Amino acid sequence: MTALIEARGVSKRFRQHKRFPGLLGAFKTLVTAEYTEVAAVSDVSFDIQAGEAVGYLGPNGAGKSTMIKMMTGILVPSAGSLTVLGRTPHEQRMANARQIGVVFGQRSQLWWDLPVIDSFALHQRIYDIPQARYAENLERFSALLDLTPFLDRAVRQLSLGQRMRAEIVMSLLHDPKILFLDEPTIGLDVVAKDAVRRFLAEINRERGVTIILTTHDLQDIETICPRLIMVDHSKLIFDGELGRLRAALGSSRRLTLEFATDPGPLPLATATLTSDEGLIKHYLLEREDVSLVHVLSEVGSTRDLKDVALHEPNIEEVIRTFYQGRNIAATATS
Amino acid sequence: MSAYVAFARSGFLTSFAYRNEVWANIFGKLVQVFARVAIWLAVYAGVTAVDGISISDMITYALLGGVVMGATRYDRIVRHVGNALKTGDVAVWLLKPVHYPLYLLAIEAGASAYTFLLAVVPTIIIVALLYGMQPPASAFHGLMFVGFCALSFLIHFLCAAIFGVLAFWLMTVFSLEWLLQSLISLLSGLLIPFWFFPEPFGTMASHQPLAWLVYYPSAVWLGRLDTIQTLLYFGFGLAWLGLLAALLALLWHRASSRITVQGG
Repeated sequence: MTALIEARGVSKRFRQHKRFPGLLGAFKTLVTAEYTEVAAVSDVSFDIQAGEAVGYLGPNGAGKSTMIKMMTGILVPSAGSLTVLGRTPHEQRMANARQIGVVFGQRSQLWWDLPVIDSFALHQRIYDIPQARYAENLERFSALLDLTPFLDRAVRQLSLGQRMRAEIVMSLLHDPKILFLDEPTIGLDVVAKDAVRRFLAEINRERGVTIILTTHDLQDIETICPRLIMVDHSKLIFDGELGRLRAALGSSRRLTLEFATDPGPLPLATATLTSDEGLIKHYLLEREDVSLVHVLSEVGSTRDLKDVALHEPNIEEVIRTFYQGRNIAATATS
Repeated sequence: MSAYVAFARSGFLTSFAYRNEVWANIFGKLVQVFARVAIWLAVYAGVTAVDGISISDMITYALLGGVVMGATRYDRIVRHVGNALKTGDVAVWLLKPVHYPLYLLAIEAGASAYTFLLAVVPTIIIVALLYGMQPPASAFHGLMFVGFCALSFLIHFLCAAIFGVLAFWLMTVFSLEWLLQSLISLLSGLLIPFWFFPEPFGTMASHQPLAWLVYYPSAVWLGRLDTIQTLLYFGFGLAWLGLLAALLALLWHRASSRITVQGG
């Protein structure tokens, strides 16, 4: 089976009118036609199979939104080839549009002045959704995301969390094969974020809707996406499972040992001491093959050990280490 | 197709969300029509006819201007298109299987129908009762007036949408809105009918597209054009309509493909 989305060496460069600083520069800007080229996406390749849920992660300006816009057909790649459901998105924009759903966290697709339910009804007409299917989807999704209390309210009167839930439901009404979400949880509170995450994970699992989402919030990825694509400075820097990223980074676990009486300085061969507060000592377990048992047997049973705590690194730490490591590597080579 | 019918319907219903606007609208339109009637009453003081046009003709002309120009809002269209392109909101529309200009036309048709029924008709009835209004020159002219009104709406929409798309390249939406406003007040015949223009400006004015906004519908109602001329100028109007539609399609294609190639 061929992949649902195939990206081969996709690049996107933007031309920006060159501006000159200062008052004279302002006049110069008026008459010159100099451009600077900015690379938003450089030589990115990946395959996404049907039913996958992929998190597209990267810092601001790394080219996440640009990639989503190319996959939805509203931007044309400068180089490389991109196919979505076997089509070139920008050439068959209309046909592509019927089979995908898109949610922009920062741009509403609902009709501002209309009640939510009217926006949905318009959506039904635009996508020619058969009445029975429309009613079924609406009922199911509304129940899952608890939309019923505000279906009759005008969109401009909704809270951000309510609006976002409505946006997501609307994007799924026409049974899209792929759902693209550009920062769907931005600005939401903890409860709303959680509801959205659980809903997306369920849609992916039960309906097999392929999900591609960009986000800053790593929790989104941990809950929804088994697979992670990371970009930085327009380039792809990691593509694989989150667990693999953890393993690849050596995933330094942190160990805290608490003693009833101060054993004095206690350097260990199996773990590196990072800070010593007397009764409480912090260590870093840098090697994967070292287990807690090894450390404890080195500490020995003679000392007055009261408590042990081992912290698995969370995803934020993993990714921070990853980016920092890259930056250090970059400065070292340049 | 059913999607566009639904858009028109929603344009109509959305207007209901702003109930106070209905009253503000009626009041505003009343003031405008009264002002134009008052100007002609002052101009005609002590005179029964100027160039064969009676004061009663002119009051009717002022009222008809309110009928054809009262509902469609070029400023709303210019702003809608201009802002969608400048802010990149148009991207949302490129994501849907919909033609954006047709969507706008449908929405505007619905909103105009609403303003026409709830603001224009009451205004005209009030002023007509106060100052009197002439019936159409003949049944044929009355019938053709309806056709000219449809033409007026479509040409009005196209001109405004073209100006809106131009905002993408030229300047602020606001300045284009002003430019179009002054062009319309002078060249549509809304303020002064072309038969009062000195030659050759009268002939020039009566052949540019904005003339179909107010001048021709009103002139037809008043019987200023005979049967042949009426049909001829209806044909000319259709030709302008086709030309403007082609221009809008071209500009729209340019603007939206520039967005997709260079980014919004």
